[in-house]
Amino acid sequence: MRRILAQSRKELTQIVRDWRTLALALALPLVMLLLMSAALSLTVYDLPIIVQDFDGSSASNHFIDVFRASITFHVIAWPVDKPAEAALASNAARAVLIIPPHFGRDQASGVNSPVQLIVDASDANTAKLVSGDALQIANAYNQQIAAPAPVQAAFRLWFNPGLSSKKFYGPGVFVLALSMFPPLLAGLAMARESEQKTILQVYVSSISAHEFLLGKIFAFMVVALGEAVVMSAFLFTYFGLTFAGDPTPVFVATILYTFCVASFGTMIGVKIPNQTAAMQVVALGGFLLVFLLSGLMFPVQNIPIGLRWISNFVWGRYFIEIVRDALLQGGGWPAVWYKVIFIGIIGSIFYLLAWNGMRKMQVKS
Amino acid sequence: MAEGHTQVIAATPVREVDRDAAEGLAATPAIDARDLTKRYGKVEAVRGIKLEVRPREIFGLIGPDGAGKTSTFQILAGVMEATSGVANIFGSPAREMRSQTGYLTQSFSLYPDLTVAENIRYCGDLRRISPQQIVARGQQYLRMFDMDRFADRLAGKLSGGMRQKLSLICALVPQPRILLLDEPTTGVDPVSRREFWDALAHLSADGLTILVATPYLDEAERCHRIAFMHQGQILQIGSSTELCASLNAKRIELRTPDLRKTESILASHSGPDDDILDVQRFGDRLDLLVRDPDQAQQQVTEELTRAGVSIEEMHVDQPTLENTFVARLRALGQDLHSSEFPSRHNHSSLRGQIAIDAKSLLKDFDGFTAVKNVSLQIRNGEVYGLLGANGAGKTTTIRMLCGLLEPTGGSMELAGATGNLRSEAVRKRIGYMSQKFSLYDDLSIRQNLDFFAGVYGVPDAEREEKIRWVLSFSGLEGKQDQLTGSLPGGWKQRVAFGAAILHEPDILFLDEPTSGVDPLARRAFWTMINRLADTGAAILVTTHYLEEAEQCNRLGMMVAGELVAEGTPSGIKSRQTGHLLQLIVDQPQRAVDLLKHTTEGWRVSLFGERLHLITEDAPEIAIQQTTQQLEAAGLRVFSAREDRFSLEDVFISIVEKARLEGKVSLEK
Repeated sequence: MRRILAQSRKELTQIVRDWRTLALALALPLVMLLLMSAALSLTVYDLPIIVQDFDGSSASNHFIDVFRASITFHVIAWPVDKPAEAALASNAARAVLIIPPHFGRDQASGVNSPVQLIVDASDANTAKLVSGDALQIANAYNQQIAAPAPVQAAFRLWFNPGLSSKKFYGPGVFVLALSMFPPLLAGLAMARESEQKTILQVYVSSISAHEFLLGKIFAFMVVALGEAVVMSAFLFTYFGLTFAGDPTPVFVATILYTFCVASFGTMIGVKIPNQTAAMQVVALGGFLLVFLLSGLMFPVQNIPIGLRWISNFVWGRYFIEIVRDALLQGGGWPAVWYKVIFIGIIGSIFYLLAWNGMRKMQVKS
Repeated sequence: MAEGHTQVIAATPVREVDRDAAEGLAATPAIDARDLTKRYGKVEAVRGIKLEVRPREIFGLIGPDGAGKTSTFQILAGVMEATSGVANIFGSPAREMRSQTGYLTQSFSLYPDLTVAENIRYCGDLRRISPQQIVARGQQYLRMFDMDRFADRLAGKLSGGMRQKLSLICALVPQPRILLLDEPTTGVDPVSRREFWDALAHLSADGLTILVATPYLDEAERCHRIAFMHQGQILQIGSSTELCASLNAKRIELRTPDLRKTESILASHSGPDDDILDVQRFGDRLDLLVRDPDQAQQQVTEELTRAGVSIEEMHVDQPTLENTFVARLRALGQDLHSSEFPSRHNHSSLRGQIAIDAKSLLKDFDGFTAVKNVSLQIRNGEVYGLLGANGAGKTTTIRMLCGLLEPTGGSMELAGATGNLRSEAVRKRIGYMSQKFSLYDDLSIRQNLDFFAGVYGVPDAEREEKIRWVLSFSGLEGKQDQLTGSLPGGWKQRVAFGAAILHEPDILFLDEPTSGVDPLARRAFWTMINRLADTGAAILVTTHYLEEAEQCNRLGMMVAGELVAEGTPSGIKSRQTGHLLQLIVDQPQRAVDLLKHTTEGWRVSLFGERLHLITEDAPEIAIQQTTQQLEAAGLRVFSAREDRFSLEDVFISIVEKARLEGKVSLEK
């Protein structure tokens, strides 16, 4: 135990001494939080749309007004004789609404009147949102002018009623930052020992691989937990998040997750005794896997079947589900208990792999 | 610092190792290696060595670069598995006895981002020493090495000598019974080296067993026994005297006004079947190894008279360990037979021009003055040696001279340029070999050379022959595709040296080019340096081997950032006051300790088995007094005579005197 603590103390001293890196590891997540929440949006506002009204009746004007009233769209005037494609091609507008000449007449005679909506789908996500919103607006118009339909669907958005991107991405960035920076520091520290040959001094003492690794990992868990505390403070204040239910699962999971990522970094450092290469591998594992295959950015269901199985091994996946549950759904232990266990198992695998590489505590020949 | 020396003795800690127990084990060898082999893939680094080191012995391991010394150390330290064979420490496998061994690696294995105290603490913690004991022993050793002021300094900011002492302290704090020291003094200045060996002598007297590898053969002479290792095998084991005697030769020390000419004349008349077996340049003299001294002296006189070279001094002595080592390696065909340097650019037209002109250079780092008021002038065709202890400001000075570092004050002229010293025209004319290897470890040797040939703009037509020459000079023909990182340190230096002169610069800066290089290769370096100077290049070189410095045309000695002495080697030596006595006694280390009690520490030093004493009294009186003093203490004095000052004696006394005058700020 004493040697584990000694090892941790040495690592922490080195981390604090390299305060620039430490400051970066603590400040970058906050910058990421701000950027992600400001730059990524789940909803669409003020999208330029042009309307070609071939009818010009009061009915068509009324229909256009409904679009004007929406915050999603920003209606731009477009001459009827100019082809609508030009507007899309020149990026003047992202959607075109075409009202046929007989629109008003059809309305008056109670006949269904089709209108055409052309959406620039080069950005699929936005296109989907635009068409959905346009459909809703058209529905609203229908309801205004017609008798209420016998069955009416009422939408209610739960857990994130305002569809706030802050609430969606906040927890995601929290997980992403924890998956990137602590393992990066741990991997570099471990690779440096081999690179600078200081590892010889460790080998020549009788410290065991377990003591050595646990001491190292513990130090980087402390760093990761510190990072978690700083980010949570930010999430609870600036992002206005609160615990939705029992917070104990997320507490336990956070501790296990810091063990998991610190072990991951250390394992890479053991296997790749070169700082640059270790850094790249950690970045690849920590960032790409967690960013792309954990459901953080894209729903796991959207991942092609051929790759989806990988996400079952991505440690970040379970943690992000636990964090979202704690902050949004509030399902508590019954909902997430097995995910907490998975994190522990994956962490232990990393640890054992690292141990397997160090086991002999000897120079590899 | 002179008081420091006496304190070293007074402060020698009473080690907790039980002496009786240590002696009880005397029957068991401290280190016992049998049929030890180590193979890396196809390469056999250690080929069945047998080694037995007795308790309390200082045992030296010498051999050329790449002889397998480091592999042997790693096996004995228990950090690497042997391919086969036995490696026992006090009767048990080395791996299990790690708690009894202290291991100093070539790279020192310190954490540069931890302070001195934190490094010691971590080492102690790893070995489960109680915190109180770590602090107590740490302070004790820090005081012993005069380092207690630096406890809070980051290890990365220590000079080479200090780093070496710190790693020794780290190894000593757990109180091991065996110390394994792998070239601990490489790159360390003569003063620190001397202190280090004095400390080792005391540690061994207190019961510690020490196995040490060193490229400095005068140091190796201080070992009780020495093993000569070559290509993974131990060729010979014995005391320094036994090894030297096995040569079956006498040594003639010869001094003439033109050593280079003398050397080439005599070398053409030497060989295994001639009277003169070998001719070796050593400092300001030639050492001739001869079978029959009388006959050889006669031959030398005849040859030199015919060539018109006068003889200043000639006398017969026993061969030194370095003589023996060099002669053995030559006999084994290890001499570097490099092809002729393909010189394509002759700088002789520049000869005599001022290449480097520095006036009152000053460099401040955050309130610490690293270099003060240094002025020097170096002409084309001249070899200028810059000497100084670690941390005296040599590297900073070189960096300013070659334009890498902007001076805080003073003026610089380099290759005729005064303003932009980094212009392409200037850079093309200079070559710089930095102290730390400037090669890329992850490139092959060939790729490194191609790269440097490219950046220095070596014309395509010359490139191939130049690179071939570097490979031949380094003795690495056929190994060009090996990764540079896998080369032993001494070989990397050879390649780095070759890379620095690929483009035939007419101004060359060499920062400790021969550090860690074996004696034979060092001689090849100097032959090359002299040849380059002959073609008109101006060369500035630093070295910790002071006998090498004798080959410089002029020398500058730096202490604490200042140039305190400048002149030709003989000029500097002639300014030394007092007389040098050389004594040969039966217990040299005890004699040194005794003498240091009665005189200033810097006046006494050990060169191998020879004791040097600098005295201000008349030599006859001093010899008589010293002999009486030593004999009264029960020592036997075999011989005592006045000798010439060596450059190393002068260097040590200049540095120590400056330190006494209060210039202790050798460190930031």
